[in-house]
Amino acid sequence: MLGYTVRRILQFIPILIGLVTVLFALLNILPGDPARMMAGPFANPDVVETIREEMGFDRPLWVQYVDNLWNLARGEFGRSYQSRRPILKDLLEVFPKTVQLAIAAEVTSALIGVWLGIVAATRRNGWADRLIMTIAALNLSFPLFWLALMLQIVFAVFLRLLPPSGYGAGFDQFVILPAVTLALPSLGLLARITRAALLEVLGEDYIRTARAKGLKGVLVVRRHVLPNALIPIVTTIGTDFVRLLGGIPIIEVIFAWPGIGKYAYDALVFRDLPALQASVIVLAVSVSLVNLAVDLLYAFINPRIRYV
Amino acid sequence: MRLSIRESATFDWRRFLQARLPLVGVGVILVFVLLAAFAPFIVSDPTEIEMRREQDGETIRPPFAPNSQNLFGTDQLGRDIFARVVFGLRTSLIVGILVRGLSMVAGTMLGLISGYFPKSVDDIIMRITDIMLAFPVILLAMTVTAVLGPGLLTVCLALALVAWPDVARLVRGQVLAIRDQTYVEAARSIGAGNWRILLRHVLPNCLGPIIVAFSMGIPGAIMYEAGLSFFGFGIQPPTPSLGSIISDGRGYITVAPWYPGFPGLVLTLLVLSVNLVGDGLIDVMNPRAAKGARNGQSAT
Repeated sequence: MLGYTVRRILQFIPILIGLVTVLFALLNILPGDPARMMAGPFANPDVVETIREEMGFDRPLWVQYVDNLWNLARGEFGRSYQSRRPILKDLLEVFPKTVQLAIAAEVTSALIGVWLGIVAATRRNGWADRLIMTIAALNLSFPLFWLALMLQIVFAVFLRLLPPSGYGAGFDQFVILPAVTLALPSLGLLARITRAALLEVLGEDYIRTARAKGLKGVLVVRRHVLPNALIPIVTTIGTDFVRLLGGIPIIEVIFAWPGIGKYAYDALVFRDLPALQASVIVLAVSVSLVNLAVDLLYAFINPRIRYV
Repeated sequence: MRLSIRESATFDWRRFLQARLPLVGVGVILVFVLLAAFAPFIVSDPTEIEMRREQDGETIRPPFAPNSQNLFGTDQLGRDIFARVVFGLRTSLIVGILVRGLSMVAGTMLGLISGYFPKSVDDIIMRITDIMLAFPVILLAMTVTAVLGPGLLTVCLALALVAWPDVARLVRGQVLAIRDQTYVEAARSIGAGNWRILLRHVLPNCLGPIIVAFSMGIPGAIMYEAGLSFFGFGIQPPTPSLGSIISDGRGYITVAPWYPGFPGLVLTLLVLSVNLVGDGLIDVMNPRAAKGARNGQSAT
């Protein structure tokens, strides 16, 4: 298991080099002069030249590329063109906020999704089941940015219950709207998977035995059905978490959530290569770590699976 | 060898017609396609500006609320939102099909090559897909449109660029399962070349999953285009796009909720319908691996 984990992590290194190469190529084709951007629109040409030399933009591209890779290999993210602060410092500030948002969203979606699935499965073919499954079938279709806007209109503008955007203290009223927006599209999938998993277990003999010995319905579900239906549910939550991370940049920009997605977006708008590449690397590494964690968790709850 | 085509891609029309939801999807798409195709004959000019209007003896200024004349109301310049949405639908449909077409062709070619040719070729292509898939999709698409410059064609190229790796992997998986079949061996033994085997024997036998992946990827392409345009990285005025209409309407959510509201509803309905048709296709064709092509589509 340990060997497998180490190998998975090592396999990611060439992918990271590829990421950096693609980004470097793209950003250097990009029209716009970083030195001029840093100096501002009304800067003196001499100032622009000084910055160009200071930042090393006057060196041949391949030198800049090798230098860039070498710095990254040493764990040096460099300084942001925009804020001139060390990027590592910026990232340490913005990344925890993204983690907060992602956790809030995934907890919301897991709790509500699994609960809906349980309700649907235990009232199979009843009106609640049909309603939930119909909504589940429609759920994946919302464009995230529009959903965000509509929730802002309803809950912030008309009902005035929640702030439309911004960041408070992490887990407070500010996190509710972005987290719910991120969670909504996955509810349907989770409810569907949970329902299917539960129905499969509900048909087993040991459930009939539990019922026959007089165990109450709620206890049957909690003690016998849920633990046995857990594997597909946990796997789905894991893959759903990866999907959710993909939506993070959009949601952070719309809700002005100062996380790494918004940081990356701002960096792109400003043509800030070091900041953009650092945040893309962190996002990509987080996604692959979540993927790895899901695979390991899968082996943990299902001892029949062994990774070698 | 024609027989093998039928075997893998049997299309059970009766089952497709029996399921109601996919048919509803087909109906909605048909209406949207007709609206988009005959847009100039159906709706008024989406660029026509109307800065004042008399109502109950008073002069009012746009945005005007929805009424019989402007089904979806008007924007801040008095332009009919319904007309803008219909023209935006045109863009969405073109993007959906063009992006999916481009990424399917590229992904299928590379998937075929990757699955069929020796491991060294396979490794190179698969490592490239690894790199592409590691990118946060929306950020990569934004960066590419920033590089290529905004516009309909560049947006399609950018979105195809982020979409092909999924297709390549799907097709590769199919090829791996097919290439050791007896009929491939038979073709080789009578002297068929690699490309002939790939195109005449292997490709027809992966068509089922490819068709499903085509339809399942369209909603993602449509939503990403809308998302890019919403953030100003996509299609630029005067080309209409649902995403940029919604973006324009952001500033008016308190005084004119219909302005961003209706275009989003139409977008949702379109995406939903294509999804329903895709689900229906999966049910009737039942290709095992095609579902993976849907990953990441709801990220916008």
